[in-house]
This record gives sequence, C-alpha cells and structure tokens, in this order.
Amino acid sequence: MSDLDRAIEQLRGCRLIPESQVRELCYKARELLIEEGNVVSVDAPVTICGDIHGQFHDLMELFRVGGDVPDTNYLFMGDFVDRGFYSLESFLLLLCLKVRYPDRITLIRGNHESRQITTVYGFYDECIRKYGSANVWRYCCEVFDYLALGAIVLGASSVLEPTSSTALSSMPADSELETEVLNSRGDVTMSTYRPRQRSSSNASTDSRNISPPRDISAAPGQAAAPSRSGAPGTGASGDGNGSATTSRTGAVLCVHGGLSPLIDSVDKIRLIDRKQEVPHEGAMCDLLWSDPDEIEGWGLSPRGAGFLFGGDIVKQFNHLNGLSLVARAHQLVMEGYKEMFDGGIVTVWSAPNYCYRCGNVAAILELGEDASGGGTVARSNGEYGRSNGVVTDNRVISPGRRYRVFEAAAQDTRGMPAKKPVADYFL
Amino acid sequence: MATTCATVSPEAKKPNSITINGFRISTQKLPILKADPIEEMTRKLGIAPPEMIFGDNYVAIEHEKGNWGINFNAFDALDLVDKTGQSMLQVAYSAEWQKSREKTHEGIKEVVKPFDWSYSTDYKGTLLPNARPFEPTTKPIPIELLKRPDPILFFDEVILYEDELADNGITMLSCKIRVMPGRLLLLTRFFMRLDHVLIRLRDTRIYVEFATGEVIREYVSKECKYEKVRQMLAATRDDIPAFLRDPNRLSEILPLVEKRSERLVLGD
Repeated sequence: MSDLDRAIEQLRGCRLIPESQVRELCYKARELLIEEGNVVSVDAPVTICGDIHGQFHDLMELFRVGGDVPDTNYLFMGDFVDRGFYSLESFLLLLCLKVRYPDRITLIRGNHESRQITTVYGFYDECIRKYGSANVWRYCCEVFDYLALGAIVLGASSVLEPTSSTALSSMPADSELETEVLNSRGDVTMSTYRPRQRSSSNASTDSRNISPPRDISAAPGQAAAPSRSGAPGTGASGDGNGSATTSRTGAVLCVHGGLSPLIDSVDKIRLIDRKQEVPHEGAMCDLLWSDPDEIEGWGLSPRGAGFLFGGDIVKQFNHLNGLSLVARAHQLVMEGYKEMFDGGIVTVWSAPNYCYRCGNVAAILELGEDASGGGTVARSNGEYGRSNGVVTDNRVISPGRRYRVFEAAAQDTRGMPAKKPVADYFL
Repeated sequence: MATTCATVSPEAKKPNSITINGFRISTQKLPILKADPIEEMTRKLGIAPPEMIFGDNYVAIEHEKGNWGINFNAFDALDLVDKTGQSMLQVAYSAEWQKSREKTHEGIKEVVKPFDWSYSTDYKGTLLPNARPFEPTTKPIPIELLKRPDPILFFDEVILYEDELADNGITMLSCKIRVMPGRLLLLTRFFMRLDHVLIRLRDTRIYVEFATGEVIREYVSKECKYEKVRQMLAATRDDIPAFLRDPNRLSEILPLVEKRSERLVLGD
C-alpha cells in the first residue's frame, strides 16, 4: 500500500495526516493542477457536486450515495472549506483522491478557496487549531490558486436510463425520461418526461414506434453538419478526433458562481490568468461569485458588488456556446438543487443541514453517458463561427439529469453544536 | 420543467411549551423554508428573504386570561426591513469594484431591487390583535433578580433568520428564552457585522414577573463603525477575530444609539 493510499484511508476515517505529508501532497497536487486548463474537459458519465463546506461526515454520505472514487467520476464545484468543522479533513481527502485518481475527480475553485475568505470563515482558525501553525493553511492556499475555474462536460446523454423497470413501464407513451429525483435509499421520488425528440434532419425513428429511449437517442448522430466539427485549438474539442459526429445534447458548463458580463464565450474563460488570489473584481471574480436571478439582462447586486444575471443572459450564453446547461453551486437551496430558466441553469448544493442548523437536504447531479455517438463527443464550445447561425435550427437538448438527494449523515457528535441548547443565565 | 416536488420530510415537531402561573410559553424550531414558501414570502414581503430563513420558527408568550400575548417570528421582523434602498449599505470593496466596472460596463448600473440587504430590523415582537399595548416607562428590568441562580424550568434558543451577506460578514436574528419559577426573560437579538464597514446590535428584552403580571419590554440599539471597533480592540490582548464574532462581548463596547423601555401590568 502506497503512502498515498494510506493517507486516503486515514483521512476517510477523519484522521489528519502529518504536516510533512500535507506539504508533499500539496506540492504534488499543484504539479497536477498546473497542467489543467482554466476550463477542464470532462467526459460523461459524471456526478456533479456543489458546496461541501467542511462537512466531512456529509461528504462521506455523499460518496455512499453517489459511489466511491474511482468507481464514480466526480466533479466538485468548489467551496470545500469554511463553515463546517472538518474543512481540513474534507479538502485533504479530496486532494488525495485527485492526486491518486486524477482522471476520476475534478476540483474547481469556489469563492471560499481564497486566503481572504478562509481567514474570516473558519478554515484558517481550523488549521491553527489542528496543526498549531499557519503552515498547512499556506500550503492549501497555494493549491487553491491552481484550481481550475470551470469545467465542460461533454458527451452527456439527453435521456436518462430509468433507474428501475417500474419507472420504465410508467413512462408515458412517446416520451423519454428527462429528469429523475432519487432519495438516499435510491427510491425514485419524482420523474419528468418530455416528448420524444426527433433530430432536425427528421431521420429519427417512427415516433409511433415505442422503443426504449436508448434506441431513440441513437438517431441524431446523422443530424450533425460536418461544418461543426471542433475548430483546432479550442480546448473543448480536446479529444482532437475532429469527428463530425455530434451529440444532440449540448455541453454542460460547470462553474462555482455563474456568468460574467466580461465572458461571452467559454474560450474567454481560458484566457484568464487564474494563478492568483481570487480578485475582488473582473471575470475571475464574477465566475466565482455571481448569482442567477429572476431579472432581465444583467443587474448589480444591491450589496454594491457582484452581478446578477437573468434568464435571457443564460439562454444567449448557452446558445452561443453550444451549451445545454450551466451547472453551478454557491447558493443554499433547501431541496438540494434548483433549476431555473427552463432548465438552462441549475444550482447544486451538497452540504446537508448546512452549518449544522439549517435542516436542508443536499443533492448531487448525475449526467449519463451518451451511448449513441460511439465514443467521445466532439462538440466544441465557444468555437469561432458557432454564433453565426449555423446551429440555430438544430436546437440543443438538455442532458438527462438524475438528482440524488441525501440528508445529513448520522454522525459522531463530538465538537458539534448541541442539538438541545444548553440553558444559560443570559441577561 | 416542474421540479417543485420536494423530497424531504422535515420531522414534524410539536412546539415546545410550558405553562406557568397563567402564562404559556412556546417555541417552534423547524428547518429553513423550501422553495415554494420562500417564493410566497418574497411576494408578500416585496424583498428576497435572507439565505437562511426559518419561516416556521417562533417564540410566543401568552397570558391565559385577558387575551394578551406577544410572539417573535421571521416574517414580521423582515416586514420592518427597509424595502426602498434608502438605508442601503455597501460592502467594503464596493467602491473598488464599481470603479473597475465603469470602463467595461457602462450599461449595467441598475441595482436590481434595492433594499436593505443587511436585513436590519428594529422588530420588538408582534402583539396579539387587540392585546393591550405597552406604555413608556423608566423602570428598568430588575437585572439583580435575573442574576440569581434560580432553577431554569424551560430554555430554548430559536433562530429566525441568518444571512452570510455574500461572505461579507453576518446578519442574524435569534431569540433566547429562559423561564424560572418566578419570572422569565426573553432576548431577541439582531446582530449584523458587515466586515470593514459596520457592526450593529439591536436587543429586545421581554421580562415577565409572574406574581404581579408585570411585563417590561426594553429595546437597546448599539452600533459602531467596524474600523473603530478594531482600533478599540487593538490596544487589548484579545483575539480580535473571535471578539468580532461574539455579540455578547461586542455588546459591552459598542456605543448606545437608542434605548426604549415600555411596561404593562396584566390584571386578572
């Protein structure tokens, strides 16, 4: 068993590793992350997770519900630290897994992965308390500076494979499974369907012909115009096979916060010099801080800093970049996930009973693999020419989305705020 | 896309309560509101509620005779938040942020739905409809009686709302209540710390003397610029970040803005 495997085992038990090992781990992680672009390409299937905030026991519950690394391919959208009591254990475990299985776990940066924020919201204090000095905090902050700013998920299937056979039999005729919500025991609590889609070339199978969704999704490959192969040099078409085959499902952009008025294409994210502390303004700041809101266009947050963006902005951004969905975290949602703007954007929140007192549930989002295209999809994003109307009639369809909802782990309550408040003689 | 179908079933908890000397004291603590109730509350309030909104929580004191009672709940507290944006604060780096935007985004100058997003409230509780009102008094709450180590028969702590101010500090409204054999004390505290800008504390205390039916309500508002507090603390050996997180200690050094005392005596 390697040192790394031993460290993983130790951290899984919520036991810290020695400072010297943290230093080595952070060094290795940086070596690895420096090779990643600002926007990492990830192939479906993938499980997308939102904020963790140092809730280690709930992270373990997440792995129980979503499967372990490396069996499940994970994408974490930042905010690993602060607020909870186990930021160190949570972040170091994720980092170990990243170093051990670099292709099976992707970590992108949240606004809490910053020196300034961690000194105020707990991570710094936790490092001092648990290691006796700020060294480990410093090592971690150096890693933060190298984390990617976003990820593009390619090759996600537009239809979900129903979880159970009963779900299949209850499916309305002429429709396909679009979303499914499961509880932590794996029971389906909600399903939504959409009319079975045809590809724009109408080469689809006869709609009267009731077939399993998988067969239906096999058709649209032919609908792709060869002119839309990935332009060389765009990272999103990174597999480089330049294939004309395309999924009818657009790519999914994952960022911690949201969009930026300075960023109209995914390629512009790639141009940011990310290896720095999160700035207070500019595109990098926006990606980690902004929020969607029920407004038109762009708005300023009433707080005097930060942007809000409306449904039209999301629609346009998705269209111009061949995206079908933006997945983001950053905001607490009671149900664990919240779709907005006709499913154009989703907030995923993965910290159940946030701050040990909110009583909310958490969720993770699973995107399945498109089995039709015969391999990786070469749909590029932000590529030149994408916006001049070539794709307009070929509407991208959102990927099938499976949300696994889970509750806070029954945990060892040492160090937790008491459930029953302790009576005191306050005045 | 309909995704409103919720999956969580919060433990349906009965309110905690105690009845003593003709007074019924009850509290309720439930998880934060779900999407639908939040939407409804947003519509009714006209502003977006705080990130952590415990809309079902409350603390209530009722007198069994005379139809008198007071309760503390999030909605009524939020209804007193300035909804016009007149008393709107700005985060510390706002000037820097907006300056950098002048060049690039002439178009985006509109603040969407301005309101006091610090959720500052001078809420002093909600009286039952037709309940006898308080009258101004100079009589203070008898602190010495409350310092006695009388047994605490009932105690609870209830959060009504909390917001992280987009990681620029904290704002929180919470209640604490303790009931002793002869009296009770309820403290509803609004605490807001906007980092590098302002610290604000607004306490409402309700004191009830069971034997006499006397009820005293005291409202104390304190606030101070953040930097000034830091300067005050710089001379001490205190752990400054810890101090700035602790409203009890801050309360000792923040200058007074307003104090108001009211009283009423409930008869049989």
